Amino acid sequence: MLREVAIVGAGWSGFRSISPDLSYKEMMYEAAVRAYEDAGIDPRRDVDSFVTVAEDFMEGTSIFDEYTPDQLGGALRPNHTITGDGIHGLAAAVMQILTGQFDLVVVEAHSKASNVLTFPHILAYAMDPVYNRPLAFHPYAIAGMEMRRYLAETATPLEACARVVVKNRANALFNPLAAHGANISVEAVLGSDMVAEPLTRLQCADHADGAIVLVVADGATARALTDRPIWIRGIGWANDTHTLESRPWGEASYAYLAAQMAYRTAGIKSPRAEIDFAEIDDTFAYKELQHLEALGFCRPGEAGLWTLEGGTEINGEFPVNPSGGSLGMGHLLDGSGLARVLEVIFQLRGEAGRHQVKDAEVGMAFAWRGVPTTSGAAVILSN
Amino acid sequence: MSLLERIAHPNQAKVWYGEIPIQSRYTVGITGERFFREIKDNGRLWGTRCPHCDLVYIPPRLYCERCFAHLEEWVEVPTTGRVHTFTVVHLDLDGNPLPEPRIIAFIQIDGTDGGLIHDLGEVDPEEVCIGMCVEAVFKDPAERRGSITDIRYFRPVG
Ligand SMILES: [Zn+2]
Repeated sequence: MLREVAIVGAGWSGFRSISPDLSYKEMMYEAAVRAYEDAGIDPRRDVDSFVTVAEDFMEGTSIFDEYTPDQLGGALRPNHTITGDGIHGLAAAVMQILTGQFDLVVVEAHSKASNVLTFPHILAYAMDPVYNRPLAFHPYAIAGMEMRRYLAETATPLEACARVVVKNRANALFNPLAAHGANISVEAVLGSDMVAEPLTRLQCADHADGAIVLVVADGATARALTDRPIWIRGIGWANDTHTLESRPWGEASYAYLAAQMAYRTAGIKSPRAEIDFAEIDDTFAYKELQHLEALGFCRPGEAGLWTLEGGTEINGEFPVNPSGGSLGMGHLLDGSGLARVLEVIFQLRGEAGRHQVKDAEVGMAFAWRGVPTTSGAAVILSN
Repeated sequence: MSLLERIAHPNQAKVWYGEIPIQSRYTVGITGERFFREIKDNGRLWGTRCPHCDLVYIPPRLYCERCFAHLEEWVEVPTTGRVHTFTVVHLDLDGNPLPEPRIIAFIQIDGTDGGLIHDLGEVDPEEVCIGMCVEAVFKDPAERRGSITDIRYFRPVG
C-alpha cells in the first residue's frame, strides 16, 4: 500500500440478544466513547473523516446516512455512509487515508436487530422483484439450496456443519462479549427444527444488538498515538453476480476474489502458512466451511474434515472464529464484519483472555452480506 | 463523556412502533417484455445467446455478464431442465411453520446456461434429487397474466 495504515482504537457496545435500554444512537455513542478513549483522541479535534455502514430497511428509516454523524462526534465533518458490511466501511477508511488527504478516520457499524420486526420480509424484498419475489418463499431457502449444492460438490458430511456450530457456540462461552455461548451436541444441532433442508435452525446464526467503532490512522499518526498499533496489511472485496439464475451455488467466488485482492496487497503467497487464525463469516454453519475453502486455507472438500479433526478449534492448527463467530456472538447485520475485526484486534493485542489464540501475529477477518447477496470483504491484520 | 446513568427497569424502556408503506412499479424491460409475453401467450421459454461466450441466458438478458456484449440473438429453449439444487423450506415469510413445506429448486433449463427458481410439484420431497429431470407446468392460458407464477411449478418428467 502507498501508506502504512493501522487501527489505533477499538470500541464496542453490546453484544446482547436484546437492548431495550439503549437506542441505536446511544449504542453507537457508547462504542465511540470506548474507541476514542482507547485511541486517546478527541473526535471533535482530531478525526478527519467518518465512515459508517447501514442498510435503510434494517434501520426502518429511509436515507439513514443522515442519521449517523452526531453520536460519533462527526457533525460538521466529512461523512461517508455505505450500504455494505463494516469491512467495506473499513476499506473506504483505508482508501481515504491512502489519498493522503486524511490521517485519522473513524469507522462505525451497528445492529439493532431486535427492533427489526419483519426480517424475512426485508430479505425477500432484496430478491429480484420480477423473477423471484412473486414466488414469496422464505429467503433462507436460498441458503438451503446453496448448502445442498456445496455439500454435494465437496462431499462434505452434514456432521461437519454441525461441528462448526458446536465449536463456535462453545468458543463463545469463553468470550464475555458473546450473546449466544452454549454447550450443545452435534445431534442437537442436526435434530433442531428444519428451516430449509438440509439447514436446521441451530445452523443459522441468531441475531444480536451492538455497535463497533474503530479508529484508523496512517503510519506516522499511529506511531505517535500508540506503541501497539494493529496494522492493516491487505484489504479486498468482490461481488459475484446477484442473479440467482447465474450464480455458481456450490462455491463462494466472491470470497475467493476478495481474499485474492487482500493477499495481493499484503504480499501473502501461502495463506495457511502465513496467517495464524481467522474470523470468518458463519451466518450459516456451512458458510464457515465454504468460506474456509474459498479463502484458500484448504482445498475444496477439506474444510469439513479439517473441522471434524479439530484443526479449526482454538487450540487447533488453525483457529477459526475463536470469538464464537456470528453463531456464538450473534449476527450483527452489517456490523458482523467489524465484530470479526474487533476479535482479530483483541487476539493480536493479546487481550482475548480465555479464548486467546497462542502466538497470534497475523489474522484475517472476512464478511459476507448474507442472503441473497454475493458480496464479500476480507482484511488481513498484524501486530 | 460516557453513559453516566442507564435505564434500570424494563417498564421504563419505552418503544415506539412504525411501519413503512412501500409500493413500487418494476419495469420488466426489453428482455422481460418478450420473456413474459412468450410465457403468457404461448407457454414457451425464450432466452438470449452470447455468440462470443456461447452462453444462453435464462432469464434473458440484454447484455452478457461475462464479456459485456449487447445480446440480440433470441433462442427458443425447452420447458424442461434438471434440478441443479433444491431445498424443502418449512417457514413462511413471517417465519411461521408452513402447514405444507414447499420444495424450492434452481432448475437449469436444458440447452441453456441459466435456469429458473421455482417450486417443484407432483413429487414427494424424499424423491427429489440433484440432476432430476423436470418440466414446467403452465397455468391454463386464460389464467396467465405474464408473470413467473404463470408457471405453476416444475414436475418430474414422465
Ligand atoms: Zn459474452
